Amino acid sequence: MMASSYSAKEEDGHHSGSAGLGGTAIRTRKPDNTAFKQQRLPAWQPILTAGTVLPAFFIIGLIFIPIGIGLFVTSNNIKEFEIDYTGTDMSSPCFNCSQSFSWNSTTPCRCVLFFSLDQPFESNVFMYYGLSNFYQNHRRYVKSRDDSQLNGDERSLKEPSKECEPYRTNENKPIAPCGAIANSMFNDTLDLFYIDPNGTQTQIPFIKKGIAWWTDKHVKFRNPSSSNPNLTAVFIDTAKPVNWRKPVYELDTDPENNGFINEDFIVWMRTAALPTFRKLYRIIQKKNNMTPTLPRGNYSLEVTYNYPVRSFEGRKRMILSTISWMGGKNPFLGIAYITVGSICFFLGVVLLFIHHKYGNRNNSSDIPN
Amino acid sequence: MMFYDLFSGVKWEVRANDHYFHQSCRRKSFLCFRWGRYADNVVRSYKYTPLTFLPLNLYEQFQRVANLFFLLIVILQSVPIIATIPWYSTMLPLLFVLLVRGCKDLATDLVSLSFFFKTVKWKDVRVGDILQVHKDQVIPADLLLLCSTEPHSLCYVETADIDGETNLKFRQALSVTHTELNGDSVKQNLAAFDGIVWCEKPNGNLHSFKGELHWKGERHLLDTDHLLLRGTVLRNTDIAYGLAIYTGSDSKILQNCGKLKLKNTQVEMLLNKTVLVILLFMITTALLLAVGAGLFEHRVSPKYDVVSVLQRDSSPAYLGFITFWGYIILLSPSMPMSLYITFEVIHMVHCLLIGWDIEMYWEDNNSPAQARTTTLNEELGQVGHLLSDKTGTLTQNRLLFRQCFIAGHIYGLLISLMLFSPLDLSWNRFSCGGLKFSDQRLVDKLRERSSPECQEFFTALALCHTVMSEWRDGLPHYQAASPDEEALVCAARELGWVFLSRTRETLTISEMGLTRNYQLLALLDFTSKRRRMSVLVRDPGGQLKLYCKGADIVVLERLQRDWPLQESTERALELFAQGCLRTLCVAVRSVPEALWTEWSRTLSQAGTSTGNQETVLEEIYDQMEKDLTLLGVTAIEDRLQEGVPETIATLRRAGLKVWVLTGDKTETAVNVGYACKLMDPDTILIQGEELRSENTVYISTKILSKMTKAPEWGAKFVALSDQCQSVLCCRVTPAQKAEVVEMVRKHSTSITMAIGDGANDVNMIKTAHIGVGLCGVEGSQAVQNADFALAQFRFLRRLLLVHGHWSYYRICILLRYFLYKTTAFALVHIWYSFYNGFSAQPMYESWFISLYTTLYTSLPIQCMGFFEQDVSAKSCLCWPEIYSIGQKEQLFNPLVLAITLLYSVYTSIILFFIPMGILQYSALDYQTLAVTVQTSYNFVSYSVAAVVFSLVAFFLSTLALHSTRLFTASPKDYFFLGIHVCRLIIVHVKNISPKEEMHLIK
Repeated sequence: MMASSYSAKEEDGHHSGSAGLGGTAIRTRKPDNTAFKQQRLPAWQPILTAGTVLPAFFIIGLIFIPIGIGLFVTSNNIKEFEIDYTGTDMSSPCFNCSQSFSWNSTTPCRCVLFFSLDQPFESNVFMYYGLSNFYQNHRRYVKSRDDSQLNGDERSLKEPSKECEPYRTNENKPIAPCGAIANSMFNDTLDLFYIDPNGTQTQIPFIKKGIAWWTDKHVKFRNPSSSNPNLTAVFIDTAKPVNWRKPVYELDTDPENNGFINEDFIVWMRTAALPTFRKLYRIIQKKNNMTPTLPRGNYSLEVTYNYPVRSFEGRKRMILSTISWMGGKNPFLGIAYITVGSICFFLGVVLLFIHHKYGNRNNSSDIPN
Repeated sequence: MMFYDLFSGVKWEVRANDHYFHQSCRRKSFLCFRWGRYADNVVRSYKYTPLTFLPLNLYEQFQRVANLFFLLIVILQSVPIIATIPWYSTMLPLLFVLLVRGCKDLATDLVSLSFFFKTVKWKDVRVGDILQVHKDQVIPADLLLLCSTEPHSLCYVETADIDGETNLKFRQALSVTHTELNGDSVKQNLAAFDGIVWCEKPNGNLHSFKGELHWKGERHLLDTDHLLLRGTVLRNTDIAYGLAIYTGSDSKILQNCGKLKLKNTQVEMLLNKTVLVILLFMITTALLLAVGAGLFEHRVSPKYDVVSVLQRDSSPAYLGFITFWGYIILLSPSMPMSLYITFEVIHMVHCLLIGWDIEMYWEDNNSPAQARTTTLNEELGQVGHLLSDKTGTLTQNRLLFRQCFIAGHIYGLLISLMLFSPLDLSWNRFSCGGLKFSDQRLVDKLRERSSPECQEFFTALALCHTVMSEWRDGLPHYQAASPDEEALVCAARELGWVFLSRTRETLTISEMGLTRNYQLLALLDFTSKRRRMSVLVRDPGGQLKLYCKGADIVVLERLQRDWPLQESTERALELFAQGCLRTLCVAVRSVPEALWTEWSRTLSQAGTSTGNQETVLEEIYDQMEKDLTLLGVTAIEDRLQEGVPETIATLRRAGLKVWVLTGDKTETAVNVGYACKLMDPDTILIQGEELRSENTVYISTKILSKMTKAPEWGAKFVALSDQCQSVLCCRVTPAQKAEVVEMVRKHSTSITMAIGDGANDVNMIKTAHIGVGLCGVEGSQAVQNADFALAQFRFLRRLLLVHGHWSYYRICILLRYFLYKTTAFALVHIWYSFYNGFSAQPMYESWFISLYTTLYTSLPIQCMGFFEQDVSAKSCLCWPEIYSIGQKEQLFNPLVLAITLLYSVYTSIILFFIPMGILQYSALDYQTLAVTVQTSYNFVSYSVAAVVFSLVAFFLSTLALHSTRLFTASPKDYFFLGIHVCRLIIVHVKNISPKEEMHLIK
């Protein structure tokens, strides 16, 4: 017997605190029985047991260790030679240059370093210059450039961005290229000579194009009014960066490598991520398959010492390196792979032992899914 | 006027029939400004209009500290000298968050439009109007009763929707308005009525009202007896006239409801603290880095003219200061900006999923489960104490007369309702059906009139009650204060003893078609202390008889000495109790005329005497209710809801402490406790004061009030209850229910959940962490105040064990993952700053920073928050023990958080140094490093996206439930993924499985 007082209440049509009661057409509020609403979407629920995890360990170990070994061996086969020519040491040939030199000196200082390669360098050899303790990633330094000027924008050429301050204008002329990065461009000249056993010196030919990123060279950096081949006229109303010897349109004689699209310039403008860095300087192309690019023997490095680093205890290096499919010399990656692989393998062994010794319990879980 | 000073609280002026006055003071609002006094009768539960949405919503959103923080960051970024990253990289996510949030607010608002009271017909009611209310109509505003068609302007109202009490209450108009206004021209009189009412300002106190009526130069005091509240229903009264005093949102019921306290979950509070910790960490780190920057500028820069020339004569301290702000901007992504909004969106989806669950839908009243508060989902997975009402919550609250014991015979069989075959009652023209009693023997005896005991028994049932009858379609319908009475009177009706009507002096019943009038001499009321009620009647033959009905203990001790059938009666009582039936003993006494005269004199004297009238009356009643003759015992069944014992058993396995708070008497409560598996048959009961270490406590009112008053008792009691299987509190008032909840909240750390169906549970529901309302027969009050609404108690199992567990799991994983990804993201900058002279150079390109939170990583995380299931629903229900991870907060506690944060530090180190290690030998430029680090990020996020999208649920193993989940859910760096996860899982499986498995097997 349902209480009669309640049925009376249900007759009040207009009092509908609870919908569904008293209405003539009762709309069913039954939820839809769909996989989504009932949370029965298909799902993969892997259950990790010793049977699946232990093989996974071994497989990871077995895959990673050979990869690591491969990488390590490859890395070791890459030949690399590095020479510091800063000249902090009294005995260094460049000592005098480094002591006397500052941004303002006009006469170039030259010094020559001798070194020998124990092994021949096959294939293309990449020549880098390296700087240490040079904070090219300092925020204010990184910001101090005008990308639209470098992209050939005429207005920015005349009116460089404020970010370039204090290297924005010089003697009321806009600086092109403006900013601290451009101003501090690396301007040592490095030349390499092979010294025959009989004493004659032959200069190693360098290729100075193809050292910048393709996008940088063709997209990001462009000379203003590229239709006009006469760069001198284009940059007529601009000043050169204060530390530069030559204006930007005299960086090279090749019109394809002059002005803002000079590749040495582009390489410098791509700021380094860490305070110790190397940048590609030249490529030494292999001559033929018979003779190595750089045979073993004695070499001399002739440095036109322009770039001062003594004030901030910086170091300058010259690096020669061959490359392989994995890039330059890089033992880290191989070691990392080997380490991870061995840890996996070791753990696999340990866990297998544990499983074998203690795991005779029924491990397959009886959870219904 | 001078009475202002007397009644300082009386400031509400209502002028009858003065439309103009009230119209001028209508409350209006624009944006957030309101003016005017009188609310109109339209109840708005939505807050935005198309015009106000944008400013109002933005204003609300920027009240959130997180949003304000990011606004500050955007402002900082627009200062060029400290802008480490461009302004749009924070602006975009912020806009995104604001947009999502605004959409969500709008959606919620649109939903609430169609909620609550519909006010189509009522909206024109104004304060000061005089309304005519017809029988069975709902009263549309708080009215001052002026007069009614009943004698003395009485009128009856049913307040079930306000306080849940189903019995009728009477209200009476002032005698002055009754006499002056009633008459033939009542409408003209009312139209001319020009009284002014001064009363309290609108408030939510349902049981008090004070005011004055000024009319014709006289003052008349008004109290709550003159007030018809909005939401009550007029009964047994043809027409009532009332003056509208409070309308719309001013009315008492609306002042009373809808003000749900915003409940914060424990997880949310811990999250807030964590965010604070992150903020502090961020500021400290920025400060340290700024010091580093200052030192760098001081020591290194001067030698390093390339950079030093850029700072243009600024002092190192100033540069450090600038760098500090730069780092604040740079590290700000570690503040989980979109976390709060993701959090809310996921809560909302979880709520939808609760409503969508077909297994929580009840066909019978067409009601799905309903989540009314969208912030509490994960607490559903952490409930430690479940406090439940009994009647209507555990039971159906449909009382059925199942058995009776008359003169040594038990009539009726306690069989399942499925097998029940109804009696043929066609001979009874008053039969309305619905009797669940089947014993042809009794019917035969009654019809043959062969058993005077049976006849007397049913006469007693038809007479001894306070039921009101109402005639509809030629059949009597009953309205009773308690469902027991109704069940008994209905049963008597079905079997031929029909209660027809009552007046003040008479009771009319039909005994097997023979109408007889009894003169009602006295009605000895039921009180919870007396636990019995009696009527003294003069039967048509002129004999005086006292019929008494009450709890077995009190009635049995008032019987004549050496009453017959003692043994069989006790056996019957025992039998009934075992069947979980509520028993009442019915007894009769023939009263000599002389005794009656004397007794009635004492009674009338007592009526005039001062002092403690209640006790005096009780004594006098006592004198009358003795030397009784037992007529029989009734057994009423309040059937348990379907699945209640199983649900309680499962919940207990899940580690919940189930407390049942009931107004019932101890015996019934204990029996129901057994029936619904709250207690096992071998449970030792401890009652009241003898609190020793046993299994189930059941306590009654007096002790309880002591407990709740004295705090140290409360603590001890809660500590004791932790040792017990369950707690049963009997004879509890609604206020005490709330006190018990409060006590549990205070003295234990666990989450409390209160479940109830009636208005008497509202207090408790509001007090508990989570309130659940059952859409039962007792009106919608409980549901209106609850956080979750269910149709049946058994759905609680699914709500807690499945939805609660999943919500907790998902939200914890989500939060940890979120903190992990944001901190790991931002921390990389710290490592990088050691290599760039602490110059606040960002590690990533600015677009990556702005898209990281919004585009790259938000979807996977949300999908995980929506769909992740660690265990299937079936397993959740099969192994309720899984639920305990929520109760013990195993997935989100300071330790786990610290591990998460440490882990993110670790990840950021890996993310920075591995690419650096790989690349440092090559001609490494800034762009390459940035892109590489970003890519390893993308790898992280995309692999998770793959995981989440394709696998949906990244289930690992029921055995490995615990804290390693984060690690598995967030693979970090390509070749480290493999080992790390696997190693942890393996170790975990090894270590945890024995324990867990025993758990499961047990």
